[in-house]
Amino acid sequence: MSLAQRVLLTWVFTLVFLIMLVLKLDGKVQWNWFLIFLPVWVFDSILVLMLAIKMAGRCKPGYDPHNGSPDLRLRAWYLTAMLLKLGFCLTLCAKLERLADVKLTFVCIPLWTMLLGALVELGLNIFPERREA
Amino acid sequence: MLFSLRELVQWLGFATFELFLHLLALLVFSMLVALKADMSTSTLSWWMVFIPLFAADGLSTYFTTIVSIRLYQENEKRLAVLRLLWVLTVLSLKLVCEVLLCQKLAEQEQARDLWFGLIVSPLFILLQLLMIRACRVN
Repeated sequence: MSLAQRVLLTWVFTLVFLIMLVLKLDGKVQWNWFLIFLPVWVFDSILVLMLAIKMAGRCKPGYDPHNGSPDLRLRAWYLTAMLLKLGFCLTLCAKLERLADVKLTFVCIPLWTMLLGALVELGLNIFPERREA
Repeated sequence: MLFSLRELVQWLGFATFELFLHLLALLVFSMLVALKADMSTSTLSWWMVFIPLFAADGLSTYFTTIVSIRLYQENEKRLAVLRLLWVLTVLSLKLVCEVLLCQKLAEQEQARDLWFGLIVSPLFILLQLLMIRACRVN
């Protein structure tokens, strides 16, 4: 997929999600929170599917691991981050729908784990010489 | 994931360090929101909860100003002005959204006319700008 296609994909899903969120928060629609998060579910499912296909592609015979694509460990981290984000959104929806009586702190734990991981990844990119040491 | 870090930096127009700063601010902000929501007797006001986001915006503005001055001194005048204009536009839209949301949460009774469509409108403008920029970067 080209950059424009990926941007368009992200843009459309973000726009639809924001519109649905605003309608719900302003009380214009009485939809279920799980339905409001539908663009998030679809977008995340596409991402997880794409990641899974790319990871499975490495298992093909004759695959060259030095062809410039990110290594398996990085892809595994991306997959974990996606699952953590999905876990956060699911528990948040369950809390908003009053299906589960959990504290917001517990709901946020997957989000914090994902953000910490992203911070470490970004930090390693800011200081690349420390990564090699 | 969907975008490489290089693509993100090109598209959003922010340096890696600025992205790090905003992500860190988001982490602290989410912790404060959880703290405020779970402790009903907490004396933490909504304005205090939003401090990490405001601080990140301020630091990002400072960082961009320094980078733009350096670029200007190195005779990259066009790049310096364009970068400064873009980052200031994005940060202003983000700040307006944050201030409106904070006001809505802090003064629920007085801010009854402030509907969420209005609060999120800077983000809608930002999305259009990001789409235009993506076409240019591509």
